[in-house]
Formats: sequence, C-alpha cells, structure tokens
Amino acid sequence: MTIRGSLVLGAIFVALILVACESKERASNAEVEGRWLYQLHCAECHEKAQPELHRQPPNLHGLFLAKSLPSGAPATVEQVRETIVHGRGTMPAFDRLLSKEEVDDLLKYLQTMK
Amino acid sequence: MTISTRYDESKADQISVRYYAGWFGAGIASILAGALLTIGCQSKSKHYELRGQVLDKNLANNEITVKHGDIPGFMPAMTMPYRIKYPAQAEDVEPGDEITADVVVSKDGSDYWLEDVRVTDESGRNHAQPQVAPRMLMPGEQIPDVALVNQDGRTIHLSDFAGKALLVTFIYTRCPMPNFCPRLSSQFARIHNELKKVSDDYDRTHLLTVSFDPKYDTAPVLRKYGLAYLDGDQSGFAHWDFASTDAAHLRLLAQAFGLQYQEQDNQISHTMNIVLIAPDGKVAKFWSTDWTWTELMQSMQAVIHLTRVGG
Repeated sequence: MTIRGSLVLGAIFVALILVACESKERASNAEVEGRWLYQLHCAECHEKAQPELHRQPPNLHGLFLAKSLPSGAPATVEQVRETIVHGRGTMPAFDRLLSKEEVDDLLKYLQTMK
Repeated sequence: MTISTRYDESKADQISVRYYAGWFGAGIASILAGALLTIGCQSKSKHYELRGQVLDKNLANNEITVKHGDIPGFMPAMTMPYRIKYPAQAEDVEPGDEITADVVVSKDGSDYWLEDVRVTDESGRNHAQPQVAPRMLMPGEQIPDVALVNQDGRTIHLSDFAGKALLVTFIYTRCPMPNFCPRLSSQFARIHNELKKVSDDYDRTHLLTVSFDPKYDTAPVLRKYGLAYLDGDQSGFAHWDFASTDAAHLRLLAQAFGLQYQEQDNQISHTMNIVLIAPDGKVAKFWSTDWTWTELMQSMQAVIHLTRVGG
C-alpha cells in the first residue's frame, strides 16, 4: 500500500470514529434530556407513594425488561408512547405537554432504566 | 386544597429538578449531587414573593383577595384569595392596600398561604371597591341553573339534582399534578364507593365533576376519564356525572363558585373548588383547602339528614 493509500484509509478510519462518537453523544444527550423529563413529569407519581390517588402508578424501572407492561399490554416502545401521549386509566394524556421529540427522549431514557 | 399552578412550577422538588437540569451534562457525579439536592429540597416549604393590591378581606377565615402580578416560579398574574397564616397580619391589611408578602407552598405542595404580609401603600384604602373579585355565592344562596353536557353527550342541568345533596368540583383531565385534579377525582371516587354501600344515601346524593377545559374534554374524553375512576363500572355514571359546558356557562359557574383558571403553555393554572349544594338547590358549603373525603361525605349526609328532619 502506498503512503497516499495509507493516509486515505487513516482519514476514513478517523472519520468513522468521529461519526460514531457524535452519534453516541447524540444518543447520550437524548437520554440525559429524557432523564430530566422523567424527573419533571413522571417521577412524582411513578417513584413516590401516592396514597391519595385512586390507583398507585406503577414503578417504571425495568419497564422494557418484562414481556408485558403493568397494564398487560406488550412491552413495546409504541405501546408506551401511546400511554404517554393519550394517557391510560387514571394517567393523564401528555400530548399537549410534551413534543414528539421530548416523548422520543423520554422513551430512550425509560429503556435505560433497570 | 390548594391552588393548582403550572405543573413544573408549583412544587419545590419539581423546581429543584430545573435548577440542576444543567448539571446532568457534567456527568454522573453531578446527577448524584442533584439527587441529594432534591431530597434536601423536598424537606422544605417554598417561598415566592407576591406584590399586589388587596381587593377584599374576610377576617372570618383570615383570607384576603389579592390582584397580583406575575409570581415567578409560582403563577402568572391573577386575582385570587390567599389565607394569611398569622391572623394579626390580616387585621392590619385593608382593601385598596398595596402589599408585599411571601407565598409559602407546603413541602408536599398541597397547601399554600401568605406570611410576612407588609403594606407598602395604604393611600388606596378610601377608593377601594368592595368585592371587585367575581361575585361568589354564599352559603344559603340559590345556585344558577346551568346547562352542561355530560360524558354521554346528554344535556343535564344543575336543577336535575334537586332533592339530592350535590357535590360539585372542577378539573381538567390532562392535569398532571397528583395533588390537584387527580387527587380530587380520586377522593370523589372514595366518596362514591362509600356512599354506594348505603342505598338510601346513594339515592339521595350525586357527584358532579365539571371540566374547565371543554375544548379538550369532550364527552368521549370525559367518559374515558370517568370510567377510570369508576373502575370501569358504567352504572356509576348514574351517581357521578363528568361534564363540560360552553365558555359562557363556564364563566357563570366559575363566578358563582369562586373558580379561577387560566391556560398558559398548554397547562391550566386553577384554583381547587368543591361546592356542596343542598337538596333545595342552595349552596351549603365551600371547600378549597383543608378537606378530607370523609368530611365531604359526612357533609353530604348531614344535609340529607337536615332535609329529612325539616320534612
């Protein structure tokens, strides 16, 4: 391989690393944003005992590790998105409060919760 | 009660999340520090500075009605009643006074009151208009016969419940704050379930939840919301209606029952109001703070009993 060829290969390698890093950073930012949204909008009900509520909202840790959601529905991203956006049971709808991007970030964070 | 304010601004722990939202990017150590800060903040009440003019004063319950400007982090400018913690401070304030005060929100966000009330300008006392706030009904006064549309899309009137003890409250189904609308509906559900145990009480009482978000809370939305609190039992709607009405009737109800609400950033700031209407169609009692479901239910049973005794 010529020196020129090596340089080109090296440049491609560095570019791939940079793209990978940026992509990872973006994912990480989404999770951080999702975590913040979770603390702001979800934790109050889903992390704390709410004895005055008709139903205690379920704990969401490990939500996607189980086959089904606490409601019995399949534990899929789309099912959880539906619940966040339109509400379910006594959980209010968040369609006017969260943008699509915010729901995406929140779902990314929920998938990291063990 | 309480006031419900914007979700992300009314509770100390939620606000604290905001404070250190920017820390998260700094790494895990900052997140842990933020979590510790949250725990610290949850143990304290929150203070906000209020500036405004006193429009009305009620010494019987240490309340003043204040027209105030924006209270950053708490609520937008509006006119609403506040309880003064120390009665002596209420005595020093007169309608027309410009005041400053600390709005204190309890650590669990379920109560609020004023402390450190100071009169900054009393020159407006002589020009004060009594009761500038919306005209609210007093116990013993007849309620207006407002038409509403319930969860089945059927028109109902407040007069339909004559002969029963009617407990009315106001919510919006999107309310994300557990201590506000969800708490109201949950406690109404307890009352509903308890009254169901005694058929005579059940037959002579009714619950009515009115939405102040009629654009979103259409009949199907209210039906779905109601069924969640009725555990899916549709027959419960015969005892508990979920309804909305047009803007004009909503304003009338709000004025009569002291409800204040304001939409901003897709959330609705509102007061929490519960009204008990006696079988004769007259207001029996109001609640905003310091109520329990047992007190509400016993008050309903008491007005039924009074009606029986009175013939």
